Amino acid sequence: MGKRITVPFGSQHVALPEPIKFVFQTENEKITSVEVDVGYVHRGIEKACQTKFKYTQVGYVVARVCGLCSISHTLGYVTAVERLMGVEVPKRALYLRLIVSELDRVHSHLLAMGHTAEVAGYENLFMQTFRYRETAMELLELLTGNRVQYDYATIGGVNRDLTPDVAKTLKERLKELKERCLWIKDVFENDFTLKLRWKGVGVVTKEMAKRFNVVGPPARAAGLETDCRAEFNYLPFKELGFKLVVRNGGDIYDRNLVRAYEVINSIEMVENALEGLPEGDVKVAVKGLPDGESFVRVEAPRGELFYYVKGSKKMVLDRVRIRVPTFANIPVMKELFVGMDYADVPATVISFDPCLSCTAR
Amino acid sequence: MKEMLIQSIKNLFSKPETVLYPAEPSPPPPGYRGLIVYEESLCIFCTKCELVCPPGAIRFTYTDDGKKKFHYNPYLCIYCGECVRACPKPGCLTQVEETAPPETSPPDWDSLEREAEESKKRFLASRKKKKG
Repeated sequence: MGKRITVPFGSQHVALPEPIKFVFQTENEKITSVEVDVGYVHRGIEKACQTKFKYTQVGYVVARVCGLCSISHTLGYVTAVERLMGVEVPKRALYLRLIVSELDRVHSHLLAMGHTAEVAGYENLFMQTFRYRETAMELLELLTGNRVQYDYATIGGVNRDLTPDVAKTLKERLKELKERCLWIKDVFENDFTLKLRWKGVGVVTKEMAKRFNVVGPPARAAGLETDCRAEFNYLPFKELGFKLVVRNGGDIYDRNLVRAYEVINSIEMVENALEGLPEGDVKVAVKGLPDGESFVRVEAPRGELFYYVKGSKKMVLDRVRIRVPTFANIPVMKELFVGMDYADVPATVISFDPCLSCTAR
Repeated sequence: MKEMLIQSIKNLFSKPETVLYPAEPSPPPPGYRGLIVYEESLCIFCTKCELVCPPGAIRFTYTDDGKKKFHYNPYLCIYCGECVRACPKPGCLTQVEETAPPETSPPDWDSLEREAEESKKRFLASRKKKKG
């Protein structure tokens, strides 16, 4: 019989980039039970969207839910409202949305991979990954005019057009970024030390993934073929060469590899989109007020993002409901931790890439 | 091992990735979204910008004879550019590339918001009286 110790992990912890709170009951080094709290940074955004802001302004409010996937939130909301009001979005706008959304995925995945490398004790790789991520950030800044809050998609189209100069710079720098990302993929796939640390740690089996409804890269690493980009046609992914990345290991190593392959696929899609960008308007005028309800599922970098919108011919919406990917991944984390060594916990949590500003909002 | 050595020696003599910021300039890219600039001579006081602004960084105060005055809080602004797109007069509201400098005493926006609301109420009430 070992000694029982309660270990609080979070809300503020050196190994955590996000304020999630776990309370572990441990026996020697093994964890016997877990409690999770996600409400540390609650801001009441859903309530504000239903009371204070008009439906045209909500797109800018929900973009502030999360800094890393701000375009995904705007995209989810905007698509839901467009379907509700029957707006036909120009094809050029859809392509531009795809470019921003995929570049956003690139930098978010590189951030997640960098953090896992840091928690594994590989500071140098962390620095390299973040250095390459900077290129993606600079491209987004050039394209949208801001580094983090893009405010790009709006109801009926996008806010600014792509000029030929910017398109040229994008093409040139994407080539360089792709080479660097291939190098990173190579390191994450073949490095001996990283394999020792990550292989067989925090394994989510396919059955577990199905039972706990895992989403995003953790689900695809476990062999579950789930990706909203393949299931729904909210953006023209299929015609731009989208490939579903699925691996079968289910451990931290595979989760990172899914991200690495997705980064490369995303860069390819952006290149294809720039190549075949259709001419035309980027925005259509929207008239009328939203009436009825609609929901939409988009693929944020962390997984499936769900938006539910209900309106009744008023400027202010009746209900805006957001369900974020991190929230869907917490039950499987809880299940995973029981019986695990405490030392493996930081690496496992970070490999799920939790985003608590999304979850608590 | 050999590759690692070559890489290390290369790294010793290569340029750093970071920008030595105060010594070297680090300008924003072209088309950066910055401050909103207001040109009063072109304004027709339709208050469309006030209506669309998501954080409420643009407010109009009313005088009793119905004149309106434009107020802008750069520290509340999210630089989305929605007001520029809503403005019916081209050139009245423009977005420049500079951002607001750090400020130790920002404008007293709370009392200005209150004043804007009260003055609007006063103005509407006086207009009603005239009509009635």
